[in-house]
Amino acid sequence: MQPTEKTSPGPVVDGRPSSRKRWDTTDLSLVAVFAALIAALAIVPGIPVGPLGVPITLQTLGVMLTGVVLGPGRGTAAVLLYLAAGLIGLPVFSGFSGGFGVLAGPSAGYLIAFPPAALVAGLLARAVLRRAARFRTVLLFLACVVASLSTIHPLGVAGLMVNADLSLRDAVLVDAAYLPGDIVKNVLAALLAVSVHRAFPRLLARPRA
Amino acid sequence: MIEFIGAAVQSDDDRRTLLHPLTLSLAERRVSVIGANGSGKSTLLRLVNGLRLPSQGRVEVLGQDTRKAGGAVRRSVGFVFTDPLSQLVMPTGREDVELSLRTRKLPAAERRLRAGEVLRRFGLEHLADRSIYDLSGGERQILALAVVLAVEPRILLADEPTTLLDLRNDTVVRALLAGLRQQVVFTTHNLDFAREAERTLVIDGGRVVFDGTPDDAVACYRALSTQPDGGPAGDGHLLP
Amino acid sequence: MRGFGSTLGLYRPGEGLLYRWPLAPKAAASLGCAIAVVGWGSVPTTSTVLALALAGLLIGARQSVLQTVRMLLPAAPVLGILALHQGLSQGWVQAFVVVGGIAGCLLAARSVTLTTPLQVLLDGTASLARPFRRLGADPERFALALSIMLRSIPYLAGLFVDVREAARARGLERSPRVAVTPLVLGAVAYAHRTGEALAARGLGEHDEGDDRGQDHERVVG
Repeated sequence: MQPTEKTSPGPVVDGRPSSRKRWDTTDLSLVAVFAALIAALAIVPGIPVGPLGVPITLQTLGVMLTGVVLGPGRGTAAVLLYLAAGLIGLPVFSGFSGGFGVLAGPSAGYLIAFPPAALVAGLLARAVLRRAARFRTVLLFLACVVASLSTIHPLGVAGLMVNADLSLRDAVLVDAAYLPGDIVKNVLAALLAVSVHRAFPRLLARPRA
Repeated sequence: MIEFIGAAVQSDDDRRTLLHPLTLSLAERRVSVIGANGSGKSTLLRLVNGLRLPSQGRVEVLGQDTRKAGGAVRRSVGFVFTDPLSQLVMPTGREDVELSLRTRKLPAAERRLRAGEVLRRFGLEHLADRSIYDLSGGERQILALAVVLAVEPRILLADEPTTLLDLRNDTVVRALLAGLRQQVVFTTHNLDFAREAERTLVIDGGRVVFDGTPDDAVACYRALSTQPDGGPAGDGHLLP
Repeated sequence: MRGFGSTLGLYRPGEGLLYRWPLAPKAAASLGCAIAVVGWGSVPTTSTVLALALAGLLIGARQSVLQTVRMLLPAAPVLGILALHQGLSQGWVQAFVVVGGIAGCLLAARSVTLTTPLQVLLDGTASLARPFRRLGADPERFALALSIMLRSIPYLAGLFVDVREAARARGLERSPRVAVTPLVLGAVAYAHRTGEALAARGLGEHDEGDDRGQDHERVVG
């Protein structure tokens, strides 16, 4: 990091008022950089967690984080951009090398769930950041839990049933193995989001007219 | 020609004044701006191409108001940042130069041709198709200059363009800047570099505290930096 | 992670029929494989998709058998477990249908990325957005966002490595929060710098009415 003497991290980048509906260049680059962040988190080796050092991969962390940091609009756009990049064949998905092939893979349901997950997490996070002055970490954590339980897990199970031809019971069992890791990642996403919004208070707080 | 007309900047939360009202015009071919970290140098530069808008007063560049015609101003004012990696957008230099030329609405073939010319002019032809991550810091900064100058701006702003460079690359970049036809306004912590200008502004706490010849400005800045709460020394004319 | 950007494209120069084909039919075939496997999972579907993908790679792209097998390595653990599960619970025919279908789709997708240069892929993607222009889509900004994303991945991956090393140096490597916080803050700051740099270069902004409408140039160089 260069020592920057830029005093305002806020997106005052171009001259038009922030109530403008179209995104400015900072919004555009936030979308692109967070798509890259999800990709980077998906492809770096997992971090060993706890005394056993079981690694968790961070792809879904990236998705949740993108929603709660950027809000519903830009967050969903970033996740869609990430998916688009993976689907055209860039190696940005965990484990698989990308391309249309993943649509037939067992994890297709999870991938399809990412944009709605970011949307739900973003909507809830925006409400939390605008209304709640206290318990933000807990509320953001709950936002992530709601988002992942309402989108990622159901669609993930559906994907396992269709593509891996598992029975509902087996699919739910397989999916349940991800739940503990998910809770950890959602806690992490909430903690990170609070840090980010403290460091960049204008990121989501300003009302968009 | 750059004109500040009572231009001042407040911080986003409105609690601090980043730049106190400033009225002056810059017509010299080489203007340097010196001052401590956080003194307002970068804010001053960003006012010139409308990356920052004044919270009061206005800024006119080549007769155009940065608030009313931000896009047009940015098309005629190039900006080089300290860190070339935050400036280069595409994976290779050639693509990045072509990206710059895209704002000029040229057909693709013409763009490719012009990009090749630009890269040749800056001696970057052999590096044009390498990943920007494989370039050295100096090569990256020269590339950043090339992509900005590719669209032939009439004014060039450079925010500490040599801070991240070693001595050899520092010399190369300074020589490159010295040879430009354009008006160049740059900030720097390198006092020798600052002396290469025709006119130097010293900024302290959001005010231009000195405006005059580089030698006097450097003396003033040295005095400021060594006696923390003493007033600026030196001979030039002190601004209020 | 230096030089990662250049390896992002999975293109490997070579010769063969697939290299000469334009992107559209290759992509359509790859997508078709995925749809067929998801929609009509059966022995004939899986056999056809596998045969097509293998023919594409071995003959169309002149890859060796070893090279082709290696392409499945990243997905091998998942595929192996799935094959075992299906074989034991529903029989080995079903295991072939499911796992073979997935493997065929992955190989088909790989044959596209193997034989198409990155820039062609990106151009093709941007042009997909063109019909949606009327709905407010902006292919040029889409292409720009895609480029910024690509060049940000190596930056962020490098930052991640640095941050983890710094955490390890302080004995904090078991704390994911310590490992990721500077990465995310760095990403936001980096996005702001990039946004500012784009604005400074007059890129990615909506034109102010003075030269819109006569935008006759191609979307991507």
